[in-house]
Amino acid sequence: MSFCLELHLQQTQDYEILLSKAGFKDAKKMIETHSSNIVYVKPGAKILGSRIIGLPPIPIGIDESGNTITLPYTKPCHGTAVVKLPVEKEEIDKVKAIAIK
Amino acid sequence: MKKALILLGCPESPSQTPLALYTTYALKKAGYEVTIASTPSASKLLEVSDPEQFYVNNRTDIESCLDNLEENIYDLLVGFVHKDAAVSYFVTFYHLLNTKSLAIVFEKDADLLEKFVNDVQENTDANIISARAYHNPTPLRVKIDQAIKELEE
Repeated sequence: MSFCLELHLQQTQDYEILLSKAGFKDAKKMIETHSSNIVYVKPGAKILGSRIIGLPPIPIGIDESGNTITLPYTKPCHGTAVVKLPVEKEEIDKVKAIAIK
Repeated sequence: MKKALILLGCPESPSQTPLALYTTYALKKAGYEVTIASTPSASKLLEVSDPEQFYVNNRTDIESCLDNLEENIYDLLVGFVHKDAAVSYFVTFYHLLNTKSLAIVFEKDADLLEKFVNDVQENTDANIISARAYHNPTPLRVKIDQAIKELEE
């Protein structure tokens, strides 16, 4: 079964919120400083079953040794959060496949 | 019939709901079939404001709308931008739809207003109308009339 970001955040506590209720640019800076390996995707790219909201290019932090990714998560009334969560290697490969740089 | 998508942000700004209804009215008059994508709470405000769906006939949830967006399904995107998250949503919808777009940017704080306008300008080729507005929708209503008139030309 494919990963669903929304369900994962609603139904587990297996994630870390690095920043919350922020502006997108602060979230971008946080991902870029927190992650050693970063790829960038287009606005609306589907990652973990959800479209990623933001200004291009959108950074996604990848930690292949720890199998985690760090991404921005935006909601209309709550601004942008930065979420780090564990994923299968397959999901990391999918993110790398749609990266624009 | 041409199709327009109106994208609403968080409904905490009192100008948003009346301006969304007004923009729907103006676009329908200009020959567009209008769909409004919004959060459930913004949708509820529209539902209560227009109980017989005189103006708003098509409402959709912002998340499911986003999930199904693709190029060429709308002829026009109109976004209400009054928060940082609304800038992000508008830019994302813009890049997925790749269609003619209008950003209606409003904020009571002049510095934030300028920031939101710059962010939209730097990341899209959308037409932008903006005003310092919170309670009073009139400055934007006048600009919306002008922008829709220009769409028809």
